[in-house]
Amino acid sequence: MEHGKTISLAFSDVVKSRLGGETLTLCYQCGTCASSCPVAKITPRFNPREVIKLSLLGEKDEVISGDAIWLCCSCFNCQERCPQKVEIADVIYALRNIALKKGYIPNIYSEFASALLNDGRIVKVSKFVENKRPTLGLPPLQPTGVDVLRKILSATGFDKLQQKKEETS
Amino acid sequence: MDQVKVGVFLSDCGKQLSEILDFNALTNYVKKVSGVVLVGRSSEFWRGKGLQFIVDAIKDGKINIVVVAESLPKLSEVNIVQAVENAGLNPYLVEVIDLKDHCAWPHRKTPSEATEKAKAMLLAAIERAKLLEPLEKLEFPVLKSVLVIGGGIAGMQAAVDLTDLGFEVHLVEKAPFLGGLAAQAGRFFPTDDCAICIQSPVSDVKTITHTSRKCVYRSGFSEISNLNILTNSRIVSMEGVPGNYKVTIEKKPRYVSDLKCVACDLCTAVCPVEAPDEYNAKLKTRKAIYMNVPNVHPPVYVIDESVCKFHDCAKCVEVCPTKAIELDQKSERITLNVGSIIVATGFQEFDSSVIKEYHYGDYPNVITNLELARMIDGFGPTGGVIARPSDRKPAKKIVMIQCVGSRDRRYNPYCSSICCMISLKHALSIKSAYPDTDITICYIDIRTTGRQHEDYYERAREMGIKFVKGRPTEISRDPETGRLIVDVEDALLRRFLELEADLVVLAPAMVPSEGTKELVQIGLEPLLDEDGFFKEYNAKLRPTETRLRGIYICGGATFPKDAPTTSLHAHSAAIKAAKFLTAGKIVKDQRTAVINEEYCGDCQFCPVICPYGAISLEPTSEEHFVARVSDLLCEGCGVCVGTCPLNAIELRHSRPNQMLAQMKALMSVNGTSKPLVLAICCSECGHTAVDSSGMAMMQYPANVRVMKVPCTGILQVHQFLEAFKAGAQGVMVVGCKSDGCHYEVGSQKAEKKVELARMLLKEYGIEPDRLEMFNMVFIEGNKFAEAAQTTTEKLEKLGSLQLMGGS
Repeated sequence: MEHGKTISLAFSDVVKSRLGGETLTLCYQCGTCASSCPVAKITPRFNPREVIKLSLLGEKDEVISGDAIWLCCSCFNCQERCPQKVEIADVIYALRNIALKKGYIPNIYSEFASALLNDGRIVKVSKFVENKRPTLGLPPLQPTGVDVLRKILSATGFDKLQQKKEETS
Repeated sequence: MDQVKVGVFLSDCGKQLSEILDFNALTNYVKKVSGVVLVGRSSEFWRGKGLQFIVDAIKDGKINIVVVAESLPKLSEVNIVQAVENAGLNPYLVEVIDLKDHCAWPHRKTPSEATEKAKAMLLAAIERAKLLEPLEKLEFPVLKSVLVIGGGIAGMQAAVDLTDLGFEVHLVEKAPFLGGLAAQAGRFFPTDDCAICIQSPVSDVKTITHTSRKCVYRSGFSEISNLNILTNSRIVSMEGVPGNYKVTIEKKPRYVSDLKCVACDLCTAVCPVEAPDEYNAKLKTRKAIYMNVPNVHPPVYVIDESVCKFHDCAKCVEVCPTKAIELDQKSERITLNVGSIIVATGFQEFDSSVIKEYHYGDYPNVITNLELARMIDGFGPTGGVIARPSDRKPAKKIVMIQCVGSRDRRYNPYCSSICCMISLKHALSIKSAYPDTDITICYIDIRTTGRQHEDYYERAREMGIKFVKGRPTEISRDPETGRLIVDVEDALLRRFLELEADLVVLAPAMVPSEGTKELVQIGLEPLLDEDGFFKEYNAKLRPTETRLRGIYICGGATFPKDAPTTSLHAHSAAIKAAKFLTAGKIVKDQRTAVINEEYCGDCQFCPVICPYGAISLEPTSEEHFVARVSDLLCEGCGVCVGTCPLNAIELRHSRPNQMLAQMKALMSVNGTSKPLVLAICCSECGHTAVDSSGMAMMQYPANVRVMKVPCTGILQVHQFLEAFKAGAQGVMVVGCKSDGCHYEVGSQKAEKKVELARMLLKEYGIEPDRLEMFNMVFIEGNKFAEAAQTTTEKLEKLGSLQLMGGS
């Protein structure tokens, strides 16, 4: 937090109003989540306690434009051990949704989303893989039924979010 | 009853009121009301000449019902009622109202409207008074004896206080020795002296000053003639009423005669049975015949019947020089009749083994604060050495973990309040004895809020004890060295630490004791809070009373407490019990609930809803029963009245006809162009909020009329409809805060009924907004004035109420 920066305390209310974000304000910063986190142990770029603290202080820009929230691997260790029953991983999902609405999403996630809309898979299957399969005794990959999937994704508004992202980037 | 002869006495409070209200108009109005035979006017009627005037009128037989308009009725009523009783009239035939704070002052800007409202208020008081019934005062006997449950420091202190005051006291402890948790704790903060000492009783004449403290074993405690100590005993059943309880106690056999044992220790030397020593947190073993430590009370050995081989061994019998061992002792039942009960069942450590990641119970070198306390104690299992239980080698690196199961919404959401101090005390004591010990305390927040408590924190830093702000996620064990590793983030450094330790000490939450849980079985469950501790009647004013008259609580049974607070609490419970017992009787009036047996019909709602357990069901035939109210237990709230679906219950002095007459009268005179509003206020917070708005001369319109009920819980849904029928355009229900109702549940019940009535109103085509519930306390007079104002404005917008049938 830099001196003189505007702090918007209402941000914690915004997070709380989102699905998954409801338990944010229960946090008392004991750090059980951080010491439980396999990601935080290997990179200083993500610390769940810090993400929660920044959200509580209303450091909206830092939280939603940074890459920290995208580094959570959703193992739910933190959530399992949190003594205040803060649903940390779910709060992070809520933060990701807010970030996406503002157009912040790492390219890799964006690519996953496009791939999902186009092929029904989050990873594009390369010619190499397709050729390799029979040599390992695996059957050829079946079509994914992407049409049905698109309907679902359209019903949830996922496709629009993705379009918006593509427009802004 | 004789012919109704109402005397109405109008005080103008030294002409304060006559400048606003037209007293001549009021006098003329009142004179014409049927039944009124005398109207008096003076500057005051609650003392002096004014009061004498009322007394003379009664003595001369001129009047037999008294209505007084006086300021501050909550004060003046006491004097008036007493004088009326002395004059020979039943004191319950008096009605006192407040024309100053409820009328003249809040409506001083609209004097003519205020005068019209005053007429309605006087008429309501007269109509109600005419329907009042004379009531008798009831007396119930109170035995001058007390049962104290729990022989820890709280129970012992309370017992000493009460015996000093001359009451007969029975002290029941379920363990074989007194002392409770304190006896195990070793030293206490903030005095740093031993836990197990009490203030000596006045019977200890050798003590130079009676304020001196003494170890229990030499305090003379056991020689107090009016104290009956029952150890190894538990409560089996409890029945009866405040002032006269019958309690059955089971006293387990000790197998050693307390009259013969000389505590010579020969028996333990020959006893071949080893058992885990629970007193020493199972860190060592003891014999089947044992004593916790040499200085316990009673100083008599006890045989652990779960492990003793009795007659198959009997080595102790052979060796005992005084023939004190009696292997054939049987348990006995003792029945006590006591007037009052003090519950002092204490607290205990939370079972840390449920937090799997800390491996308590799994790794032997993970221990709790109580276990550490036993190690620090010179009498303890290690003789004061801090050792690893796994190999008994001294522990050089110690990590302490705070808030184990406390401030944890999965187990105990509350802060146990004493564990920070316990850990600091332990850390200091270890560091002083063994300065090369490395101690780290992992904390979420350090809480040292008492006098001298911060000194402990300061000294700990001074002595090099390390603090890590973070709650560890896990304790693991190095498979090769067996050393423990505590995985924690120091949130201030934002760094992950793996703290190596010989010994990890957990600071577990403090939870309700087993003794407390056992009392649930004898019917005290309604007194527990959501965490399982005994709940005080009122945290601020009645911290050691419960809502059951005659039953008091103190010490850790109510919440984890340090020793000074426990002491304070015990003295408080003792004085409350003494106050209750001293008079030898309970005097109550009959403003209690009464059942119309003809209507009462098998539904069981009222006994469940009554916050005081005052209603029981009595069978009338094989399949039917009828509710019965105990006048002793009934506190007169009327919540049962509001709950009865058959209108089979009435509260004396707040009967439906008395309330209806009042409502009708209040709505009979308007005098304003504004819509009439009936504000039904509870006699506790709601009515005093009206007082305070008037006292502060806050202005609200005179169309708002106040009616007092004992508690809003008495109200029935149809009464709201009656209010509208009587002419109200809107109804305000004003009660205590929903979690602060003087009768526990009344305000919440009223809220539900208002909700239901609003739904019904909608069905009838009446705007539900005409009925609203408000919660306020005395200091929120402004809130009442605002609510009265906004309700009036809201009703003006709604327009006049249209009821079927015209009115």
